[in-house]
Amino acid sequence: MLRVLGTIFMSLAAVVVALPIVIVCSAALNGGRTMFFPPQDSTLARFGEFFISEPVWTRALTNSVIVAIGAATLSVLLAWPIAYRLWKTGSRASALLATLGSIPFAVPPIVFGVGLGFFWSFMGGLGTITAGIISHAVLFLALPLVTISIGLQAIDRAYLDAAATMGATETVTFRTIVLPQTLPYTISGFFFALVLSFNEFIVMFFVSASAFATVTLQIFNSLRNGYTPTMAVAAVAFIAVSIAVFSAVARWGDLPRLMGADQSRS
Amino acid sequence: MSVADDLAYGAEKAAVAIAAPKAAVVGRVSLAVHVVLWAAVLAFCLVPLLLVLIISFGHKVEGAGWEWALTLENYKRFFVGANWPAESTSLYLGQLYWSMRYAVSAALLAIVTALPFTYLMTRQSRRAQAVWLVFLLATVSLSEVFSVMGWDIILSNNSGLPMLFAASGLTDWLKETGWFDVLRDWGLANPRNVKFKPSEVATVLTLSYLVWPYAVILLYPALSRLDPSLAEAARTMGAGPWTVARTVILPSVRLPLIGTTLLLFVFLLGAYVAITVFADPSQHTTAVSVYEHVRGSTLNAPFGAAQSVILLVTATAFLLLGQWLTRKAARPS
Repeated sequence: MLRVLGTIFMSLAAVVVALPIVIVCSAALNGGRTMFFPPQDSTLARFGEFFISEPVWTRALTNSVIVAIGAATLSVLLAWPIAYRLWKTGSRASALLATLGSIPFAVPPIVFGVGLGFFWSFMGGLGTITAGIISHAVLFLALPLVTISIGLQAIDRAYLDAAATMGATETVTFRTIVLPQTLPYTISGFFFALVLSFNEFIVMFFVSASAFATVTLQIFNSLRNGYTPTMAVAAVAFIAVSIAVFSAVARWGDLPRLMGADQSRS
Repeated sequence: MSVADDLAYGAEKAAVAIAAPKAAVVGRVSLAVHVVLWAAVLAFCLVPLLLVLIISFGHKVEGAGWEWALTLENYKRFFVGANWPAESTSLYLGQLYWSMRYAVSAALLAIVTALPFTYLMTRQSRRAQAVWLVFLLATVSLSEVFSVMGWDIILSNNSGLPMLFAASGLTDWLKETGWFDVLRDWGLANPRNVKFKPSEVATVLTLSYLVWPYAVILLYPALSRLDPSLAEAARTMGAGPWTVARTVILPSVRLPLIGTTLLLFVFLLGAYVAITVFADPSQHTTAVSVYEHVRGSTLNAPFGAAQSVILLVTATAFLLLGQWLTRKAARPS
């Protein structure tokens, strides 16, 4: 009896979580300019508009991709030495550095966005893609920091001791043991930052100063003029990217472990 | 200071390494990496927040931008209004009240529904858990603009639920039974049909939807570490499922429960899109006001910065309160 209730509850939750997404995605099939649900004169023409023919959207999509890949790469490159030093020395200074690096993710995004807006207007980078990339890299630095730290902690100390006994230098140990064993965690961190950067818009809104637009920004800007089915196409594309990325993380990395599951049970 | 310690550590390493030329290069590189890391983190993580704090004391020049200053006028305007003591306004305090009201109700709604869900999820196989996690991560990372768009289509007056209500005769049924007047009192109906936009119910539901997957993800570690044998033992001794939930499961996840609720609350304080779409303008929040003042029509950056600081202080206060509660709860009574 209770089992049945539990299953019903879980299915209901899944339906509620999926419902608005399904509705937005199906609205992408609308033939006209207005969003209808269920869609009227279904067509795939909107997909062509979004990906190929409408310059507003293709430019926004290019910006989104550049920012997401740039920011994710930069945040991993920044996170690696911080996480590595914390793991290697465990010193209070490196712990402080890691904490400072996680602050942007912890404060309400609108506050950090306002701050970055001020920051870039003083530095002269306001409205440039580079400023956008750096801003997102800093905002999501906490994600690769956490996943790489989890990966480093998962390394069996016995390997390191063995390497040290055999006279391996720090560089050799790093290249032959640390790097390969933490690679899945690094990639996971990269993808977490990538997907979140792809979907973020409030910080980007303050940093871009309307000089360029990412897809989410473009949608946000057109909110007042009402929705068009082309926006729904963006939603389809974004959810597809998210599912693909997280499935890849689940397939090649240990997703339950990354999310903090107990290791002793399976 | 610890920064100095860290730099000293690098320098020391470099000094020791001078004996061996090759190692000296490594040491110098390590020192350089060090300095760059600290500089980058301080510049990009801390300076923007400091700028917000400093500019919040700035002075707005009428008809122009703003200038550096050390005035409390922006804070005065927030708490009692710009023309105090001649007249006072609680407009901005009211917005902070709505920020907290939405955040508290949405966080509680999310946590109450996410707790049983997460518990059931952790009892499934590891494979099933991974599938659920992919699904939840995909929805949680989906931009706020898309989920709000979805709920907007579902709840808007010309399509979605209100139309379904009218078409299915549910509206007429509500009118006959008298529930319609109750809904009107709650602001959920206009004279002709039910309406969910704008309304507090729609706002809280959407906000709660936005953080619900976060709630599951944050509760997941604690619940997956829960020893199933405890619950089984309680069941064998004849405790009903509700007793088990109340006396075994809830107490053991009390701390993560408090922590998660607070994190959701802090996250919701900054919510923007859902509020502008679903809330009545008289019930808008501080986050909306920050946006209006920094980038919107009024262009008063110092006042926007002051409101950001107040938002941040509120968030920090609640986090500290949570830490204090956690420490108190952790102490054996």
